[in-house]
Amino acid sequence: MTHRTILHIDMNAFFASVEQALNPALRDKPVAVIGSAKRTVITTSSYEARRYGVKTGMAVWEARRCCPDLILIVGDNRRYTHTSTGIVRMMRDYTPLVEVFSIDEAFMDMTGSLRLFGPAKNIAMLLKSRIRRRFGITCSIGIAPNKMLAKLASDMEKPDGLTIIRPEMVASVLEKVPVGDMCGIGRKTVRVLRLLGITTCGELGRFPVDILKKRFGIVGEHLHRMGKGIDESPVIPAEQAEPVKSVGHSMTLERDIERREDILRYLLQLSEKVGRRARRYGVSGRTVHLQVRYADFFSSFSRQQTLPDYVNLSDEIYRAAVGILDSVTLEQPVRLLGISLSGLRHGETQLPLFSENPRKVSATQAMDQVNDRYGDFSVTFGTLHAVDEEKGSFVISPAWRPEGIRCVDVE
Amino acid sequence: MERIGEPVRVAVIFTPGRNIRPVWFDWKRRKHTVLETTYSWPEKAGDKLFLHFAVVDGEALYELVYDTLEQSWTLNGVEAEP
Repeated sequence: MTHRTILHIDMNAFFASVEQALNPALRDKPVAVIGSAKRTVITTSSYEARRYGVKTGMAVWEARRCCPDLILIVGDNRRYTHTSTGIVRMMRDYTPLVEVFSIDEAFMDMTGSLRLFGPAKNIAMLLKSRIRRRFGITCSIGIAPNKMLAKLASDMEKPDGLTIIRPEMVASVLEKVPVGDMCGIGRKTVRVLRLLGITTCGELGRFPVDILKKRFGIVGEHLHRMGKGIDESPVIPAEQAEPVKSVGHSMTLERDIERREDILRYLLQLSEKVGRRARRYGVSGRTVHLQVRYADFFSSFSRQQTLPDYVNLSDEIYRAAVGILDSVTLEQPVRLLGISLSGLRHGETQLPLFSENPRKVSATQAMDQVNDRYGDFSVTFGTLHAVDEEKGSFVISPAWRPEGIRCVDVE
Repeated sequence: MERIGEPVRVAVIFTPGRNIRPVWFDWKRRKHTVLETTYSWPEKAGDKLFLHFAVVDGEALYELVYDTLEQSWTLNGVEAEP
């Protein structure tokens, strides 16, 4: 039986490490990256800060209580996407089978490349060396016969680690691994498994699969296989990935807002970003979604509207979003807004509504050409120019990819 | 990373604890001073033990390999771009 050789690369404290590499004054110091100077949640923190108990998602006041000397940095998303893209390019020097999992994680299937480049361990160490030299940051790499185990392995030694799980080691390694350490087994499942007397992967693998299926349905079979360390999912490079099902943007606002005209201005900004990306990649969609998170951070809602026609013009998307907004009563000031377009039709070579409104289509095409050349929002709606200084902070979605429609320019 | 695979002359310090530290090496009629060894790792290939060193000289990243059986050094690869 031939085993696969899969590498999982996990950048250590990625955003904070990029900041420390670029600014020597931050090195070896407790650093936390936040989304916006006026916002108060930690996006990620350096290992020095983590030693004090600073964690992702923590409020700034709470983080400062853990670590009074904590240095806060407003994140620069373009730095992170640039670095991530460069690292993925390095990975592709060794194999075309690279699957970007998120901005700081990727899988490589090296099975067919080992004869060319030598043992996987050498490739992993050279990759670590190249990343450290080029970007001044470290990563942890896991090598294993499948994606699930490679990811588990990369988590085993942080920061700057390399862990190899050879096929003959799988059973002994999994014997004592807590089930919650497996990617895909969440806290809720861990609680239910504990009630069944299962705390480790070894126990999960030995547990009667029939009982698991009775308790979890079809997921029970999958859990059983996870306990055994079996995962046949392939590494899927971008060009073989399924077409995206939606195009969306969201932003956390600099301050909570409640005036209708303020909300509409941000919706227009988001609609333009969604429309631009949809047009650039030749997709249009029939369903517009609006997401709103309130000032208390915890409450939010999401509504959608399906349109009679496929759209990708920014003002069509905007009008649908405003229609959704007008159908609800806002309960609190707004902290986050998001718009997405789904029900997509791919391969649109022409803008929709061409026959209905050729002047609008021509104007949009002209605007897109100018913005392609001089940058987003170089030419845009007058309403947005008036408030140029008050743009929200965009979040890098877990679905971000270094190229294609998922390559979102997040300033 | 460009593959080289050339035998090279390397100056090395053997430090206590069986640690090896490359200090400089000759390549293309130039002496390259090692500023930092970013990573080092062993590789077993049958009876042979190779010691790999990823080193930088301020201009490029080099992979030096020491064949412990043959007691010879090879420059395996170089990455010169910034």
